[in-house]
Amino acid sequence: MMRKIFALILVLCLAVPAFSADYPAQNITGVVQWGAGGGTDSLMRPLSAIAEQSLGKSIIIQNMTGATGSIATQYVFDAPTDGYTLLMGAENPALYDVLEISELTYNNFDCVYLIGDEVVGVVVGKNSPYKSLKEIVDAALKAPWTIKISTTGTGGLPWEVGAFITDITGAMFNQIPYDSDASAKTAVINGECDFTVCKVQSGIEDWKAGDLKFLCMLSEKPVPVMPDVPLVTAEYPDFSKYLPWGPFYGVFVKKGTDSAIQAKLSDAFTKAGPQESYQKVLANFNINFLGYSGEEAAKYISSWRENTITALKNSGAFD
Amino acid sequence: MEALSHMAVFLREPWLIALVAAGTCAGVYVGAIPGLSGTMAVSLLVSFTFGWEQHSALAVMVGVYVGSVFGGSRSAILLNIPGAPAAVATALDGYALAKQGRAGEAMGLATSQSVIGTLLGVLALATCAPLVAGIARNFHSIDYLMLSLMGLMMVGSLSGRSVRFGLIAGCIGIFLGCVGVDGQTAVKRFTFNIVYLNSGVDYVVAMIGLFGASEALSQITDMKATPVKQKVDKILPSWTESAKYLWLTVKSSIIGVLVGALPGAGGDIAALLSYDQAKRSIKNPSAPFGKGAVEGIIAPESANNAAIGGAFIPMLTLGIPGDAVTAVLISALTIQGLRPGPNLISQTPDLFWLIVASLLFASFFLLVFGLTGIKAFTKIVEVPKGILMPTILILSVIGAYAIRNSVYDILWMFGFGIIGYFLKRFNYPIAPIVLGVILTRLCEENYRRGVMLQGGSVMGMLGSIFTSYISIALFVLLVVLFVTQTEGYKHWQAKRRGEA
Repeated sequence: MMRKIFALILVLCLAVPAFSADYPAQNITGVVQWGAGGGTDSLMRPLSAIAEQSLGKSIIIQNMTGATGSIATQYVFDAPTDGYTLLMGAENPALYDVLEISELTYNNFDCVYLIGDEVVGVVVGKNSPYKSLKEIVDAALKAPWTIKISTTGTGGLPWEVGAFITDITGAMFNQIPYDSDASAKTAVINGECDFTVCKVQSGIEDWKAGDLKFLCMLSEKPVPVMPDVPLVTAEYPDFSKYLPWGPFYGVFVKKGTDSAIQAKLSDAFTKAGPQESYQKVLANFNINFLGYSGEEAAKYISSWRENTITALKNSGAFD
Repeated sequence: MEALSHMAVFLREPWLIALVAAGTCAGVYVGAIPGLSGTMAVSLLVSFTFGWEQHSALAVMVGVYVGSVFGGSRSAILLNIPGAPAAVATALDGYALAKQGRAGEAMGLATSQSVIGTLLGVLALATCAPLVAGIARNFHSIDYLMLSLMGLMMVGSLSGRSVRFGLIAGCIGIFLGCVGVDGQTAVKRFTFNIVYLNSGVDYVVAMIGLFGASEALSQITDMKATPVKQKVDKILPSWTESAKYLWLTVKSSIIGVLVGALPGAGGDIAALLSYDQAKRSIKNPSAPFGKGAVEGIIAPESANNAAIGGAFIPMLTLGIPGDAVTAVLISALTIQGLRPGPNLISQTPDLFWLIVASLLFASFFLLVFGLTGIKAFTKIVEVPKGILMPTILILSVIGAYAIRNSVYDILWMFGFGIIGYFLKRFNYPIAPIVLGVILTRLCEENYRRGVMLQGGSVMGMLGSIFTSYISIALFVLLVVLFVTQTEGYKHWQAKRRGEA
């Protein structure tokens, strides 16, 4: 905490114009758009701890939560383009405009480092009568709006994937929103809801314990830690047009930031990402390492956005 | 025996004891400053201890956690500014005691009760974790709704002399709790297209403003009053006194463990519920509640520390956080290469017992740090107001800013300070506002979810109460709490006593 206050005072007193040649001349603030202890936060802290070694200055992590991460996004957008305020985010801002959460999207930012993405699967509780996604869909087709999917609210991961399933199968579900992915998962385990969609990382331990069953994976190839779980394309080959799809994580600066500064940041993160200790963290969280920057990252994000919007439109999630 | 051998890690690695001690000490001070929270301190430690080995990292984090939960009571008692939401209830009687010159006694009591609460929480964690975890996991939306309704009924307990004033204050809180983007539908409410209003009102900001800034404002307008001279001869409560209140401590700790174990409710709600419980069940308190009743410190302080052990239960047995700090700890464990989830204890039993042992050491150090600083702390109350009040205002600004690093929160804080100032002048209670802000979302979201789960039928939701034992038990409790508050019941009681 003292570090944070100290940094604040430093920023206030020493707000001298920074030149890209001697960047970074002061500590950098990394604004994480999700809470301390969440998935995004857990990936950003260790990455920053390594990257700051090659930057020569500290990256001070601030969690700025609220409104699907749009508060943090706005905050970084309002900060000067001097490379001292980084947005550390997940996939959410890519869809802010279409979900009417905010006018800002990742189009207003440049990605200096795209860490990776992760695979999600359809899960049910251990006592569920459903043995496959097809059984769920058939039940929902027979009695629309009666099958309950627990979500994390409009715009969240299960909501998005639910829309994909609706688009491809025509089945309509009763969406029950919860306040976090942990509580959405618990609702399936205790039988309050019929199914949900969860990341491999957040469901794997319950799956090992037998409390959760993964019915299928939204992936092009089997997930190494759960090789026996079938792919969604086995039942619904049409799904392949939306794959690969999953949440992603990256570090961003506001558009207009000096390209030399961006290069320095990309360089530091690109060195940090492949380090053994960080790869271990990624493995623990079951993240597919991408390590993109610049053009490659921008391309990934724009095609992710196109795919998702197409699916959401087709499913009627919005017009 | 296996447990003991795992806990003996502290003998093999004695520096862990020093780390727990350092963590606890730092935690007490972090907790005492409004706005600086245990969650912040522990998440800072996640980056800081990345690269440490697991045992050391966990030991220091557990220490900070325990210290920070207790620390909130310090500023609540001395300045009427709860250092954390879990200490809101403590301020009601703690500050009243300080005004009578008994701050030392109140802090001593808060210390001993927090230690006992922590120990009882650890006992629950070590002996009945699977049972409590089962309850926590099977807590449905309707159950959270009933819990939050019980909480809202506390407006009566927190109102002081007039329930009508309390209800008005509670409604202000509920209204403010509605501001922001609705988490379920992403609809913006009362945000006037200002992006920074989208995340709503943080209840810690509300608390800092209503208690901290408003207290400073009211004291500044009354500068002539001389500070109360504090007695510091009697600090540690005697054994007989502790024994006298043991049943209250145990009851409050049970509430603390159970509410702490619920993923949707933490130490703040536990402390308020147990304060309410004490006020209802104790017929002849040492002084009226709100005017310096020691029972009003015992109940919330034992409950909020017992909630620590409670919060660890779902975290360690299910991989689901019981509160914000355990959410950070889950990520810390994952970063360290462990896999929090239902298999954590069977795969790494040493870790479970390491946490149990760390909690035990932390409660010991809580006793040490809680009691040694009291004389110095009481001096804070005796500081001239011309120095103390501006300091409080500055701390309130820093605290409000630090929560989300938002300048808007400073404005909110001052807004709440001014509301609080006027409410106090006109004798409105302010605790119900905080209660309203804390409980609105819990209540509203679970109500809507409960209805949606039944396909949009309110009757269906009411019917779903009778499908689980937990719901039925909560429903009976809710009805009893409601009926015993009505005039008719009080009349009948008085009449019955008159006849007897």
